Amino acid sequence: MNDPYSVLGVSPQASDDEVKKAYRDLARKYHPDNYHDNPLADLASEKMKEINEAYDAITKSREQSGGRFSSGYSYGYGGSAYQSQGAGQQYAGRNAQYVQIRNLINANNLAQAEAMLNAIGNHDAEWYYLMGSVYWRKGWMDQAGQYFRTAATMEPGNVEYRNAVQYMNQGGQAYRPAGGMDMMGSDAACNMCQNLICADCCCEMMGGNLIPCIGCR
Amino acid sequence: MYGYVRPVKGELKVSEFERFQGVYCGLCHELARRYGFCSRFLVNYDFTFLAMLLAGDEQPCTCPRRCPAHPFRQTVCLERSESLQTAADMTVILGWWKLADGAEDKSFPTSFAYKLACAALKGAYKKAAARQPDFAAAVEQQLAALRKLEKERCASLDEAADKFACILRTIGQGRRTEEEKRVTGQLLYHLGRIIYILDAADDLAEDIKSGAYNPLYGRFTPVDGKLSSEDERTLRTSLQLSHNALVSAYVLMEENAYSGILSNIVYLGLPAATQAVFAGTWNASAKLHRERRSV
Repeated sequence: MNDPYSVLGVSPQASDDEVKKAYRDLARKYHPDNYHDNPLADLASEKMKEINEAYDAITKSREQSGGRFSSGYSYGYGGSAYQSQGAGQQYAGRNAQYVQIRNLINANNLAQAEAMLNAIGNHDAEWYYLMGSVYWRKGWMDQAGQYFRTAATMEPGNVEYRNAVQYMNQGGQAYRPAGGMDMMGSDAACNMCQNLICADCCCEMMGGNLIPCIGCR
Repeated sequence: MYGYVRPVKGELKVSEFERFQGVYCGLCHELARRYGFCSRFLVNYDFTFLAMLLAGDEQPCTCPRRCPAHPFRQTVCLERSESLQTAADMTVILGWWKLADGAEDKSFPTSFAYKLACAALKGAYKKAAARQPDFAAAVEQQLAALRKLEKERCASLDEAADKFACILRTIGQGRRTEEEKRVTGQLLYHLGRIIYILDAADDLAEDIKSGAYNPLYGRFTPVDGKLSSEDERTLRTSLQLSHNALVSAYVLMEENAYSGILSNIVYLGLPAATQAVFAGTWNASAKLHRERRSV
């Protein structure tokens, strides 16, 4: 493993608070909430794991050397909080073809997922939702929104579709440093509350094909 | 090229600003050295960003130089480097195709000027295309696809934007590791998408007047050359989602000597350009920026 201090970007002489702050800043960057259904989620997850391990290593070594570093410090990023996608997901009672398409989307095999969807003649709400998911992953955000909205209109009671629409309407979520701006014409701080509300519904967004986040565990 | 990818100058440290200017001047000098005097006119902020993004572990070495824009005082200029050379090659390739596009699109007196410029840069283009065959092929292929969509008056904003975004994504293929290729490719895809949409939003009123194709016209229903506030919100949300994807890729890139400037562009510059385009002040602010630069 790399030197835990260089992973966190602090010197070995850094105070406990400085280490905590560095860890917290990095964890905010690579937080799973910023990588919802993102093709780079696996890389972010690796980064997160590396940061968690480095932080744990520093915590342990400082405790052993008699420091006051409190192991009880918990920011809510357990090492296992960031689960790999697609593992053990249940789609009980669902159309077998759609289950297969969902798995393809999770494996980032978008071309095949799109081809399979195009071969289906009957377009129900789930079809629109899955097509929206393919577009979303491709980066075709505008079309993704339109398909999600169609799915939600066809089946208003479906939480998965409704949350996808809500997530998109709110502009999603990503890391911004203090003072950073977004494209809606507001600074990041103004969006704090919105993000808190948003983070809550993100947990459910797109149902089982997403990383479960801490809030729902 | 488009110029939307630039830092918010007031938020740069003085040292960062000097370094940024050094890359800009370095790119201009590299263009002249590799492709002759005429290619200097193609220098732009977008590829200055690219040179910094692709710098990897290169350490910036600078030297004082004179240039036609500053004949009486020397400017601090970035020395030749691998990323600067790549950026210069790509500037010529994309720049030449944009001129070729203009030669076909514009009406008489302007189209003639574009044709002349195209002819003047033909040799430079051939040289650059031989150095970056994959990029040249991608530009040619995607621009042909885009031209076809324009002719068909494609109503899908994403599909039109995808062509330009794919051009930029190709640049990621030049990186060393598989991981870097994915991250850089994703960042540049969404950067391309943002640039294309901003350009469309900026030109909307003019395109409606002249009857030229504009992807927003097919997707939304503008009134008096302007989007309704609801349509604008939808469009900006879409830009925001791309910006999120861009940021999520950006934080996965290794930091380099230009990270301060790159972060400024990503977190402040792009949102500021977006704000200016939608407020209708982009052209004025871009002009002001140019004037200040030359002081």
